Amino acid sequence: MNDISTKFYNAFIVKDRWQLYIEGLGVTIEIAVFAGIIGIVIGCILALMKLSEPKKGHKHSIWWYLATAYVDIIRGTPSVLQLLIMWFIVFSSSKNGVLVASLSFGINSGAYVSEIIRAGILAVDKGQMEAGRSLGLSKAQTMKEIVLPQAFKNVLPPIGNEFITLIKETAIVGYVSLSDLTRVASQISSRTYEAFMPLIGAAVIYFVLIKILTLLLEALERRLRKGDLR
Amino acid sequence: MISVKELKKTFNGHEVLKGISTEIEKGEKVAIIGPSGSGKSTFLRCLNLLEEPDSGEIWFEDQLITDPKTDINKVREHMGMVFQSFNLFANKTVMDNITLAPVKLGLKTADEAKQTALELLQRVGLTEKADAYPASLSGGQKQRIAIVRSLAMNPKVMLFDEPTSALDPEMVGEVLEVIKGLADSGMTMVIVTHEMGFAREVATRVMFIDEGIIMEENEPVKLFTDPHTQRLKDFLSKVL
Repeated sequence: MNDISTKFYNAFIVKDRWQLYIEGLGVTIEIAVFAGIIGIVIGCILALMKLSEPKKGHKHSIWWYLATAYVDIIRGTPSVLQLLIMWFIVFSSSKNGVLVASLSFGINSGAYVSEIIRAGILAVDKGQMEAGRSLGLSKAQTMKEIVLPQAFKNVLPPIGNEFITLIKETAIVGYVSLSDLTRVASQISSRTYEAFMPLIGAAVIYFVLIKILTLLLEALERRLRKGDLR
Repeated sequence: MISVKELKKTFNGHEVLKGISTEIEKGEKVAIIGPSGSGKSTFLRCLNLLEEPDSGEIWFEDQLITDPKTDINKVREHMGMVFQSFNLFANKTVMDNITLAPVKLGLKTADEAKQTALELLQRVGLTEKADAYPASLSGGQKQRIAIVRSLAMNPKVMLFDEPTSALDPEMVGEVLEVIKGLADSGMTMVIVTHEMGFAREVATRVMFIDEGIIMEENEPVKLFTDPHTQRLKDFLSKVL
């Protein structure tokens, strides 16, 4: 018993170490939120590129090929490697690790988000667009007023999923010397020669964060489903 | 009002429309009948360019709408369309379904559009559904509201694409009644339908489309009682 409390004391209390976990969590959340926003912006653009209409006589538009190449490259390489390339090659002169990591994860996430959004738009009944067009609304107006709001409902659960994956994926930023929650826990365990408390502690923090997020997403989804009784 | 010349359309190598020419005058009610796959729905959907024809011309009030330079959105403001599967906007209330286009296109203010919508809803007996979402309505109610949505644009012609084919039998009557009332008010209409009794009663002209051409057309009584082509005779013997 005494042993456990000593371990707990060493892992969290002494030298105000608990503050390090909080700072680490702050870095984790900061990167995840920025990357999430970048990912959604890139994902939307890629999805629209993939859905853009080809010229007459062509199977796909030029935009489709560009977006497809992007998605293929991002999905075809490990995200750790993408992070290392961004940090040591593309932005080797940058000192702002959080920014580079956010960008790297955002570029990565955008590829996955684009597929989610594309599928969400295609899942909206074709008749909705036809009805809008038959009334004289333009394609863009119908998209904005009718198709995208319905697609939003379709994509919310998988986007939430993607964001949760993203939060956990940020645990690799230790590779570029950023002190996120995972790296803090690992550093403390190497200082105290005791792995259990810091690692399990970090795991619990991740779990609680993601549980809260899941509950929020479920509440939002319920609100959006009001109105349709399907 | 609508003039069609040598309209042709091919889907994946299959020629659905093989050259259709016709004139539709103001106030006419044209019923289009024919076996499934005959091209009648495709023809109707070409009239407002939801389907783009491969060749041929469509004129609407002296405007060549098949010309790529024509602003098709402007033309569609004057051509209402009612679909087999209703296609009410699932994310909008009944009221918003009806007022969206007139307001967005700057034809009416929000208040005016709402006023018109309420009048039209009253005409089809669905005033109390104004704030409901489409998912809570029956098929017959959805289709009546879809008709109202088109009428709110004050169209010059109404296109109906099998408006009762997706309805439960007991709801067909209420929708046909609305369409009939519209016909009596003088609206120009083109209706693709399987309801022969309705075509006979409401139409001023019945067009029999088969194998991608207008096989035969006539006043309803003559067409149904005295068909000339063997194809029409066969078709009528199956559906009547």
